[in-house]
Amino acid sequence: MNDRGLVQGAGGLAAFLLLWEAVVRSGSATFDYLPAPSAILAALGRLAAGGAFWGEIGHTLLATLLGWAIAVLIGVVAGLALGLSPWLRRYSLASIEALRPLPGVAFAPVGLLAFGFSLQMELAVIVLPTLWPVLVNTMGGISALSPRLGEVARSFRLGRFEATMKVYAPAAAASVLVGLRLSMSLAVVMAVIAEMVGNPQGLGYAVVREQQALRPAEMFGYVFVIGLIGILMNWALMAFARRALPGEFGRPLAMDAGVR
Amino acid sequence: MKRAGMHFPPLRGLAPLLAGLATWQFLSSGPAPNFPPPAAWWRTVAQLASNGQLAPAVMETLWTFALGLALAASFGFVAGLAIGTVRAVRRWSALLLEYFRALPPPVIVPVAVLMLGYAPSMKVFVIVFASVWPVLLNVVSSVSRVGGGLVDMGRSLRLTRGEVLFKLLIPAVVPGLLLGIRVATPLAMVITLLIEMLTAMPGLGGLLIAGQRNFNSAQVFGMLVVVGLLGLAVNLLVNVAEAIVLRRWPPRGLAPE
Repeated sequence: MNDRGLVQGAGGLAAFLLLWEAVVRSGSATFDYLPAPSAILAALGRLAAGGAFWGEIGHTLLATLLGWAIAVLIGVVAGLALGLSPWLRRYSLASIEALRPLPGVAFAPVGLLAFGFSLQMELAVIVLPTLWPVLVNTMGGISALSPRLGEVARSFRLGRFEATMKVYAPAAAASVLVGLRLSMSLAVVMAVIAEMVGNPQGLGYAVVREQQALRPAEMFGYVFVIGLIGILMNWALMAFARRALPGEFGRPLAMDAGVR
Repeated sequence: MKRAGMHFPPLRGLAPLLAGLATWQFLSSGPAPNFPPPAAWWRTVAQLASNGQLAPAVMETLWTFALGLALAASFGFVAGLAIGTVRAVRRWSALLLEYFRALPPPVIVPVAVLMLGYAPSMKVFVIVFASVWPVLLNVVSSVSRVGGGLVDMGRSLRLTRGEVLFKLLIPAVVPGLLLGIRVATPLAMVITLLIEMLTAMPGLGGLLIAGQRNFNSAQVFGMLVVVGLLGLAVNLLVNVAEAIVLRRWPPRGLAPE
């Protein structure tokens, strides 16, 4: 998006907020619990002045990043193994395809049974569905590589480990990165779900708590913060990737965050 | 164009999964309060089926899901066409749409509960609101990629506006629409289950959370399998539908990748 586009986009956003404010102020809103944007901003100010707010943000960020990191670790290692070994693919791909469409929310009750109301429960709910995009993209990235690369590795007399680390993994990096992005936004979603259904901590729980306490302004404030976290995390990952893998970026990501 | 999941991989790949379940079954001796063996899952699901709880729950969930997804797809398609064809609208709404897409969909559930209350229409509204964005944004981006050239071509062929829309624009947008629906499908399923879990409204999500609340772990695992099978079936259905549509409207050179 160029500068002009950004200005127009911001203008559209401002117009939307103004219209919302006007609708609520004029009393023509048909919903009982629709706060004006100015009321939401005031609520956010109150929340930021209190102590619990920052702790809640910290908790959700911690759960998201930890769960994502675990999922990335498992997904990349398993994806590399599956990508490099046709035998392994033959004897496990169908299992993966059978487990993959399992909606992530359904893990929440299982996590609760196993771990109770705890961070481990959140991690279980985050890791299981977040794993798939990393695994599938790593595997796809490796198995789509040209067989020539294997010949190159052999002619340099690289060992298996060296060949994987120096030849295959870097060549598949762009595809892995797509998986990292998809799973990052999925991790935020799953953390929020885990906190809404299970572990009563963090931002996800805060939204439900404010809803039950009939405080719409605070609720919308939390919703806004959660959206902001999603955007900022994706932005941070892209900024990191642009440094680590120059030349691979700027391509539009056709697949949107596939939530499961 | 390679479409993942069109062909299910060889069935011998199911071996690890089945072996894992079998090991679970044989290793579990005596009562296991949190991790019951698969045979216990089966007994609970069979029991739910025979006392008439399972079938209505499946129907309820599937109906809500299908209605929500259909509405999201149609609304996303129409709005995406409108936003995509008018350049000014596209630019002015870009940031707003980006934000709505980035917003994790589950947070909409409490918002809708507060504003609309516990009504069946609330469920459908939330599903539409959560799953409309992938469809809308994919349609917008495919219109904006192919739109200008096609409209000019139509004009030079002296086609009417309606002809440009129905003969050029819409067929060119179909692959983007399908991609959006493919992304929206699992999202709509997740949101359907989540609403049922959070509000304890009837449906599979309700049965799942009821199992957990009553510490009936066999029901939780059994319902997990049922939900998984449902997800698999819906996925296959979308794949088949996509294959049929793409045979009728094959992606063209101008279409997005």
